[in-house]
Amino acid sequence: MNELKLNTESIRQLLNRSTAKLEQPALAGLRNARMKALYRFDSRSAVPAFALAGIAQRFGHVFGSHRRHYYWASVVLFGALLFSGAAYWQHYNEIDNSEVDIAILTDDVPISAYVD
Amino acid sequence: MWTNGIVRWLSTIVLAALMCLPVLADAGSWAELTPVQQEALAPLGKDWNMLANKQQQHFIKLSNHYAKLTPEKKERLHKQLVAWSKLTPEQRKRAREKYIAFSKVPPEKREQVKQMLREQEARKAAASGVQPIPATH
Repeated sequence: MNELKLNTESIRQLLNRSTAKLEQPALAGLRNARMKALYRFDSRSAVPAFALAGIAQRFGHVFGSHRRHYYWASVVLFGALLFSGAAYWQHYNEIDNSEVDIAILTDDVPISAYVD
Repeated sequence: MWTNGIVRWLSTIVLAALMCLPVLADAGSWAELTPVQQEALAPLGKDWNMLANKQQQHFIKLSNHYAKLTPEKKERLHKQLVAWSKLTPEQRKRAREKYIAFSKVPPEKREQVKQMLREQEARKAAASGVQPIPATH
């Protein structure tokens, strides 16, 4: 019945006492597990930087747990954005050309005069 | 896990492709063009599906001006369209530069050059039996 009277404080003290009695390999194992858990927690906290309409949260597990992967994913996304921007700019410039092109094609001077 | 790696890269590629879709999804087959676009680009109809996507986009933009053209200009456009489609981007760029430079020449001098070119074309056409492009003046 003594066990039923245990409160948070007494559990903490018991755990501390037990930890002191643990052998070195067990302590090393616990330390490793703690470090891994902290590393995972740290990686997850980096996810909001990707928060593109919740894509990162949705695919967080897919992109893995290492920062390296987020770095490469950022590089690829940046590259895709750059490509999109360049393609759009080219597209926009061609709109301007169409005015000149239609003027050339409907002019009474044949296009060979401008090409030669 | 190697499967995670593949899924990760596939997701990245799909995401990148999706971002580029608005730019790539402009042109289409001949049957997808509107009747006005088909009329404007009629001389290219036969070879339309063989043109590069970028070239198709270029001609679709040109066809948007078609409705505003006079019948005479429409005829000129049709006569020159195939030749224009065979030019390289570099040749088109040079043609635009020359056209812009020529449009800055004083009207009287420009008319003299045009007259000279028309005569030259008429001589060429007479020699080859092809009708020259009609002039406005």
